[in-house]
Amino acid sequence: MKTFKLENEPKIKSGFKTPDNYFDTFSEKVLQQLDEKEVKVIPFYKRNKIISLAAAAAIIFALLIPIVNKYRANSNELDEATIENYLSYHSNISQYDLIQTLDDSDIEKLGNDVTLEDETLEDILVSSPNIEHLISEQN
Amino acid sequence: MIDEKEFIKQLLSPETQNTAFQKLLSDYQRPLYSHIRNIVLNHDDADDVLQNTFVKVFQNLKNFKGESKLFSWMYRIATNEALTFLSQKAKLSGISSEDLQNKTIDNLKADIYFDGDEIQIKLQKAIVTLPEKQQLVFKMKYFEELKYEEIADILGTSVGALKASYHHAVKKIELYVTSN
Repeated sequence: MKTFKLENEPKIKSGFKTPDNYFDTFSEKVLQQLDEKEVKVIPFYKRNKIISLAAAAAIIFALLIPIVNKYRANSNELDEATIENYLSYHSNISQYDLIQTLDDSDIEKLGNDVTLEDETLEDILVSSPNIEHLISEQN
Repeated sequence: MIDEKEFIKQLLSPETQNTAFQKLLSDYQRPLYSHIRNIVLNHDDADDVLQNTFVKVFQNLKNFKGESKLFSWMYRIATNEALTFLSQKAKLSGISSEDLQNKTIDNLKADIYFDGDEIQIKLQKAIVTLPEKQQLVFKMKYFEELKYEEIADILGTSVGALKASYHHAVKKIELYVTSN
């Protein structure tokens, strides 16, 4: 087999061609691209600014999560009125059961809360049809 | 020819920038095209990479320190763009860079912008078997006929190392062509 020697061969050209007039229109193409890029390009410092703003927003948002959660948990807590309503209308606990759980201090507190004038009390007792029954029960 | 420093000044000054950049384009589009085409092999890819190269050159002109010649600096950008393009293309196709180049060479036969015969195809196939640096050195020396000093400045190596690289490349190519 004949040994191939590059220097003994006629110069081998790459054989690469370009379309006709390729270089005539090329510079125009590049300048057009530069114009487009100038509009689109966000300078690096601005991009940096956007990134830092986004990061700051993300951090604030992350910090807010526990606070919002706590707030939502608080608002989920039942207020007294709801509990009272529930106990009055939906539970099996009777008035008597409730009274059983009261101790002296509770009763005293109730006494403070419900300050009835003697007259009012009399009126209630007079108008109440069960008054006799209540009196006999007391005895 | 005007002094290179003066030309760079014109490229950076808003009043003269357009004219100067036009001149830069017309002076360098052909040699840079050949350089890129020799690396990426097909015309459409070379066109893309050449455009990107000039856009990069334009955008980075203000950072050009004048430590090397404008010529070498632009060749360096073109080389990097072409090599990055090749590796990205190979990655996207899920094949190695060598396989991609072989495939491109096979397609050259049907390429209307390739005017070559068997020996040209064989030479290209032989070049693909070389390490990347030797490929570059061989193409720049043999096809583009750049001087060793110019190649050294572009690739940032010594002339001695380049000569050795070219010598190795030629030996391997001769061996490949002889046995194939």
